[in-house]
Amino acid sequence: MKTNTMSYKCRQFLMFAGVTTAMFIAVVIVPFIYGIYLTLTSWDGVSKQKPFVGFANYAATFGDGAYWQAMGRTFLYSFIAVILVNIVAFILAFLVTSGVKGQNFFRAGFFTPNLIGGIVLGYIWKFVFNRAFVALGNSFSIGPLSTSWLATTGGAMLCLIIVSVWQYAGYMMLIYVAGFMSVSEDVLEAARIDGCTNTQSIVYVSVPLMTSSFVQCLFLTVTRCFMVYDVNLSLTNGEPFNSSVMAAMHVYNQAFTYKNFGVGQAEALILFVVCAVVGVLQVYVGKKGEVSA
Amino acid sequence: MKKKLLAVTLAAAMAASLTACQGSESADGGGADNKGVSITIFNSKIEVQAQFEEMAKEYSETSGVNVEVYYSNDTVAAHLATKYSSNDPYTLSMVDAKDVYSLAEDHAIDLTGEKWVDNTNYAISMNGKVVGFPVCVEARGLIYNKDAIEKVTGEPFNPEDYTTLDAFQGLLEKLAAGGMETPTGIMKEDWSLAGHFLSEVYETQEDVDGFISSLHEGSADLANNARWNARMDYFDTMMKYNYAAGSAIAAEREVSEQKLAEGEIAFMFGGNWDWSMINAYEYSENMGIMPVPENTSDGTNKKLVGGGSKYFFIDSSDNTSEEQRQAAKDFLNWLVFDEAGNSFLTEKCALVPAYSNINAAGLDPLSVSVKSYADAGNLIDNYNYLPDDHFSLCGAAFQKYLAGQTDRAGLAAEIENYWKSTTPVEH
Repeated sequence: MKTNTMSYKCRQFLMFAGVTTAMFIAVVIVPFIYGIYLTLTSWDGVSKQKPFVGFANYAATFGDGAYWQAMGRTFLYSFIAVILVNIVAFILAFLVTSGVKGQNFFRAGFFTPNLIGGIVLGYIWKFVFNRAFVALGNSFSIGPLSTSWLATTGGAMLCLIIVSVWQYAGYMMLIYVAGFMSVSEDVLEAARIDGCTNTQSIVYVSVPLMTSSFVQCLFLTVTRCFMVYDVNLSLTNGEPFNSSVMAAMHVYNQAFTYKNFGVGQAEALILFVVCAVVGVLQVYVGKKGEVSA
Repeated sequence: MKKKLLAVTLAAAMAASLTACQGSESADGGGADNKGVSITIFNSKIEVQAQFEEMAKEYSETSGVNVEVYYSNDTVAAHLATKYSSNDPYTLSMVDAKDVYSLAEDHAIDLTGEKWVDNTNYAISMNGKVVGFPVCVEARGLIYNKDAIEKVTGEPFNPEDYTTLDAFQGLLEKLAAGGMETPTGIMKEDWSLAGHFLSEVYETQEDVDGFISSLHEGSADLANNARWNARMDYFDTMMKYNYAAGSAIAAEREVSEQKLAEGEIAFMFGGNWDWSMINAYEYSENMGIMPVPENTSDGTNKKLVGGGSKYFFIDSSDNTSEEQRQAAKDFLNWLVFDEAGNSFLTEKCALVPAYSNINAAGLDPLSVSVKSYADAGNLIDNYNYLPDDHFSLCGAAFQKYLAGQTDRAGLAAEIENYWKSTTPVEH
């Protein structure tokens, strides 16, 4: 049987990937294109008419100050959260691979927050910030804890970052653990024989060999932080005074609460483009830095 | 060849299993069963979902019409949007008044000739046709805990004695001196501050539509408006005695309602729907709703603001059959004219009836207040044409005021700016 004819290749493709491709097109590509079409209409989400308005929604998007504020906030939040998540995750990974007693137990423990859904996590932490911390602050008269952090503009953002770090650090830790494990023992031994201290062997041997873990972790955290919605919704719901509304939440409000479906869709598309650019750029730069032993 | 066959079979089996998951989710919405028609009802009042489900079971048995009730955690408009996009609308949808105005033109049938129309003042009409069936009457005002007040003052509390702000402040001082240092609570939610409280500034104007259009045009002078200032004087008083004064915008609704129910505080602005939260706690028996106290002579301090709340409309699309529509109409008539329907509304769900022929006994204390004001004609109408982003944007501005980050003039300016930048809702 000839294996390099066009029809053979097509049949092979259809057999192995045909169904998934069809589904991918049906649930991702078609809605995406339909979504782009909707950005050109002034549909309100429920009416039967979808009046065509050209690029008016994009003009409205650029004039929507609240959207760009939310976008700026998302950048700031993502920047800080991504750095903190990865630092914490790396340190945790180092600790649980360094041969501490019961390290499997610690691994499981640090990973647990990731198993709790974002909505539930938000409500749990809301209770912690609003009641538990305040109660602690009042009974031990610790000034900064005596009022709820969620009630102040900066405090609400800080809370979001803390919860994100708590949520994602465990998951990223697993990837870093895999990275640490993949660094071969011979290389480390060679480094030690050459006189490397522990810190030196991490910085100059382990870290460069783990670049792919860093690339993966950064990509995952960046995209997740940019798209954050669930924790945002249950922890702060945009309060106080809409000062903790992230980009995704603004898009949802614009489309479904304010019933400007077209504008919301246009804003979502821009958010997608921004995310895609940041993500791809970061992976591209990261891949370049990869080394092999 | 055998291997290939096996691979194809396996692939087909996997594909089938994938679609099988999808299939089970989209249960048929409009299919009629053997015995009679099936209708679907969308309920948007979470607090009565259990009652609706129970009623559907009983109604299905007695009438032979198969009734299914659904609820969604999404906002009403967002949820219905998905149902309409998937061509799977509910036969009957319960929505807020503003949703009727945005949905009815495309999706609702004409109910003008229905018998219940003569028995209510709250039905919604569009273009001369009745489209919305009012489910209940709800009203906003100042919720008070009579037992808690009397326990501190030692005198009988009569809400009619405190229609002016001066009298009300006198009472608050007395309460504070008597040991209840912070007798008030404020809900910091944007829908409460802007959607309910701020909207009363518009609703109590003499010419509401005129006032709203002057806000749109930018000619209204909110800062010097008598109604605005009267309401804000009241709000300042509430802020002064707020139990959460230090961190007013961190006050959780559950905590405030609990304090009010258990008599730790005595006053909070709200509506009769708050009972569904209050009754979750060790509530006091003697509570009620009174008009917002104001130093005014225009009579608004003797009335609550409210009217019909939650409306049913019947789907007009081809996805709903004529038989289903008839069954839906019969169901609405059952609610109004059948004893079982009446007892479902007033006793099981504890809703204030919107129909003159329904006698309501056994209402909760807040609803009793609302009904007495409604029966005496002392309700100021809801304004149902606020833009969809009003509660969120003006609510944010109001929260700033509550947090002490802006003053009254600043708030007025923000609200004026909001109105100038938005488009009026046609009606």
